[in-house]
Amino acid sequence: MLITTRPPAHRAPALLAALSLLAGVGLTACSSSSGSATGGAGAASSALTFAADSEPACVDPAVSPRDVTALIDRNIFDSLVNDAPGGTIKPWLAKSWTVSGDGKTYVFHLRTGVRFHDGTALDATAVKATLDHAVDPKTKSTYAAGLLSAYKSSTAVDASTVKVSLSRPDAALLQSLSTAFLGIQSAKALRRSAAQLCGAPIGSGPFEFVSWTKKQSMVLKQNPAYDWGPPSAQHTGPAHLKTLTIRFIEENTVRVGALNSGEVDVVGGLPAPNIKSLQKSSRIQVLSAQAPGGVYSLHFNPAPGGPLADKRVRTALLRSVDLTQLVKSVDFGAYDRAWSELGPRTPGYDASMQGSWPYDPALAGQLLDQAGWTQRDSAGYRVRNGKELTLRWPYVAAILREQRDVLGQGIVAQAKKVGIRINRVAVDVGTYSQDVFAGKAEIWDASNVRADPDILRTLFASDQTLDKGGLNVFRVKDPQIDAWLRAGATATDPAARAAEYVKVQRRLRDLALDMPVYVPTYYVGAAKKVHGLAFEAAAYPLFYDVSVGGA
Amino acid sequence: MSRPGWGAARWFARRLALSVLVLLGSATAAFIAVRLTPGDPVRVILGGTTATPQAVAQVRHDLGTDRPLVVQYGLFLGRLLHGDLGMSYQLQDTVGHVIGSQLWATVELAVTAFTLAFVVALLLAVSTAGRWPLLRRASTVVELVLSSSPSFWVGVTLLTVFSFHWHVFPAAGGNGPVGLVLPAVTLAAALVGVFAQVMRAGVERALEEPFVLSARARGSGESAVRFRHALRHALIPMVTLSGWVVGSLFSGAVVVETVFSRQGIGRVLATAIQGRDFPVVTGVVVVSTLLFVVVSLLVDWLYRVIDPRLKEAYA
Repeated sequence: MLITTRPPAHRAPALLAALSLLAGVGLTACSSSSGSATGGAGAASSALTFAADSEPACVDPAVSPRDVTALIDRNIFDSLVNDAPGGTIKPWLAKSWTVSGDGKTYVFHLRTGVRFHDGTALDATAVKATLDHAVDPKTKSTYAAGLLSAYKSSTAVDASTVKVSLSRPDAALLQSLSTAFLGIQSAKALRRSAAQLCGAPIGSGPFEFVSWTKKQSMVLKQNPAYDWGPPSAQHTGPAHLKTLTIRFIEENTVRVGALNSGEVDVVGGLPAPNIKSLQKSSRIQVLSAQAPGGVYSLHFNPAPGGPLADKRVRTALLRSVDLTQLVKSVDFGAYDRAWSELGPRTPGYDASMQGSWPYDPALAGQLLDQAGWTQRDSAGYRVRNGKELTLRWPYVAAILREQRDVLGQGIVAQAKKVGIRINRVAVDVGTYSQDVFAGKAEIWDASNVRADPDILRTLFASDQTLDKGGLNVFRVKDPQIDAWLRAGATATDPAARAAEYVKVQRRLRDLALDMPVYVPTYYVGAAKKVHGLAFEAAAYPLFYDVSVGGA
Repeated sequence: MSRPGWGAARWFARRLALSVLVLLGSATAAFIAVRLTPGDPVRVILGGTTATPQAVAQVRHDLGTDRPLVVQYGLFLGRLLHGDLGMSYQLQDTVGHVIGSQLWATVELAVTAFTLAFVVALLLAVSTAGRWPLLRRASTVVELVLSSSPSFWVGVTLLTVFSFHWHVFPAAGGNGPVGLVLPAVTLAAALVGVFAQVMRAGVERALEEPFVLSARARGSGESAVRFRHALRHALIPMVTLSGWVVGSLFSGAVVVETVFSRQGIGRVLATAIQGRDFPVVTGVVVVSTLLFVVVSLLVDWLYRVIDPRLKEAYA
């Protein structure tokens, strides 16, 4: 491009001038652009700054599947019903509802006097528009539409009555409707473009959207008219905070540092290694909530012909890892070791699973012997008919979190002791989804937050394979599990529902289809002057009751 | 001697044509690279989880990935010629707007870091070139350490000292001039070493030239010799570095913007790659190539102005 000759020296000043000119042009040009400052996150007691660990791409609740979207949207949107602590569904924007005998028709009676941030009143049209918007293929919903998989249509019976029709009974519908993902939007606002819906949300919640400086922060302000908080809240009327600023700080170190230095008041997604030291701090409190739903677990591929087709091999793998010790040491005691696929805070959790499948390498060895994996190769791995017992476990380094990489190494090391080789291979996202789709893996790991045991249907029902929008990655097909899951999805009595899911959890253990590892827990660090921070059913922090007082 | 007629115009036309080729080439390379990524991009975009089949079909149709690759490429080029970079899938916004809203933050950072690195390196190089062996060696060691320290580490160290403990600068996302200090220093740190080494070598070479001897003979003092005569000479190789500089400023910005939670296209690119937001990835590649091309065009032109001998060489 350029030639390095030696020009006469007397021309050099022009070059120097040119370089500084180049720099100067850039400087003047950009000084005019730095006016996009966000609202001052001052020390005023009615303002609070929360640092989130990631930025949503879109805050239309119907579009995004991200937890950070739900966290933000909960402040902006109200739901028809409220999932109160203990998993009971309470009225919210719907003051009451009735369910038809066949479980396929729900009639909601709406609260009056509720106004959206754009001034329009809540009515049946808004509810219908919200639900129709979520299932509209044009919305490209990646989560909300899945929550409404049984949804057929809704009709506005009158201004304050809406009838929702389902194609099949869905006992999880009310819980689905309680999530921020199905927060009710203004019908007028829903007529705007997808870009506006994504970038300037309009709900009826305690906070109104003000501005969003991409890659930086989002500012919400108090909705002074708010008088329809959920029953699980600690107060009524408008939120205590006048301003809620959400900053997006991805780096763990920086987020924790900003909390320590007082630059932000609350941080989400505290990394496990930082929890202990923050708990010792005199001006910081650590709050946490266990996430309900599917715990972090390893799912086993039982496909015929594969090494894990034999239940004895799957059980051996399950018993070969000392999870209690491993989880404790790797996660610094931040997470509880899991015993069931469901987290303890999920309705229908089977507490009797605790301690039911302890670490037992001797048993693992016997089971592998029985399954014919009797010989060992030079590396110490078991061999049958000249084939080594090798399991493929792909992972994407970019999306690892919560020390899952170290946990994985621990599991690999312990499985090796009983003679099972686990190939934990790092792949890119594309290869990963391709491999998982094609069943070219013996192990798949994930956690799935959902405050309803119906998550088990998404994970294990035979009609919930990936190509059908479910998460039954390894195409598990067990008639009994299917029957119980169907019964659980249609039963209306909570106790009867729970009984079905208990059966499923035990069956999963008997068949050794998965290895529950730990219960994901959402950790929040907050300055001690922050009061009233609570968690919603899905373990996201709630800001409606929060106040900032005292220093 | 100044003859701004045909020669200059022809040179300019040729350079412009070359620039267009470079742009086309990089756009094509980005287009192909993105398509070579294994896996179904639609599944990656939708998280491959609870997406409904309708959503998958809709996205395929919207992205045009249901059409043959050649058609996709043609449409992509056609839009590009109209200055249309397409729609981001995830951000529900045009790529042009996404990049436009973030570009200045990166330019601001890059220009400040460049200026900082340039000034510091100049002082280091001119003052230590060819004298004070101990100081010169110390300076060289510092430069080598700086240029080989990862920006991530430098950034976090600066943050720990100046933000978390001394509270002098904001830890994240600072918008004004105060917030620019630490990111600019971090980005400049990677450049200073290389700049100083190149400049010092240039000054030392220049100091051995006959014109320096004659300057000294005319009674110029040491500082005058160094700053007025040798430095001018030594700056020429710096221009040659311009391509590398623009490149490392942009790649460095990706890391610096992430560490400091700053706005900027580096962070947009990082997020887009992780989220497989292909239109944004190609868009950032095209825009940064454009910037690169403009800067090199400008520098080449300046170079011709500075050194008339090159006019003959190019004409």
